[in-house]
Amino acid sequence: MDSGNREYSNKEITVFWQPSKCIHATSCYRDLIEVFNPRVRPWINIDGASTEKIIKVINSCPTDALTYKWIDPEKNKLASNEKNSKVKQALEYESKLNNEPVRIKVMADGPLVVQGVFTVLNSLGMELKAMSAVSFCRCGASDKMPYCDGQHRKIGFSSNDY
Amino acid sequence: MDEKEKRKPTLFKQVLNGPLHVSGNFVIIDASGDKLDIKDEAWLCRCGGSSNKPFCDNTHKTIGVKD
Repeated sequence: MDSGNREYSNKEITVFWQPSKCIHATSCYRDLIEVFNPRVRPWINIDGASTEKIIKVINSCPTDALTYKWIDPEKNKLASNEKNSKVKQALEYESKLNNEPVRIKVMADGPLVVQGVFTVLNSLGMELKAMSAVSFCRCGASDKMPYCDGQHRKIGFSSNDY
Repeated sequence: MDEKEKRKPTLFKQVLNGPLHVSGNFVIIDASGDKLDIKDEAWLCRCGGSSNKPFCDNTHKTIGVKD
């Protein structure tokens, strides 16, 4: 259900990880274990090395499992002209993602699982931290509203909608 | 799909002591796995009491939501 795709940002770049494209060439963690460590979660520690070092390793990834874009749009414009560049691949991936409808999956006796590109506003109208996948409470008992915190199991929530 | 439609952002709004309002570009797959044909916006039950789940039917006004 979850594609497993993730994004990690520092102040200069956003790194995109698409596990389905990985062929396990292992070049990323052989060259930069401080950032790419498959034994820990999250497996990418974007603050583990300089942006320059991270880009070098991403460019050595033989597939577009690892791509990146600059936070600065001007830098992206320059980089996207390079044929087959990792930035170009990242921008193509992101644009595809932006055009796909957000998927809201209703879980039986559980929350709403939402995936895609979207914005969440709380009841005060404040924008909550952007994430590509969240679960919204449906049982009414969460202590982390509007998100699910697993309370539906404790209260024995029955959604009666399946 | 025209350019405008493509770029319409998808927004979730927590309504205080009420439902979750969703608008923009989205699909809902219900608890039975069926894709629901909803356009533009929907109000999703957050109180757990709706008789029309996943949608809101205003039951929250009677039973409340822990906000």
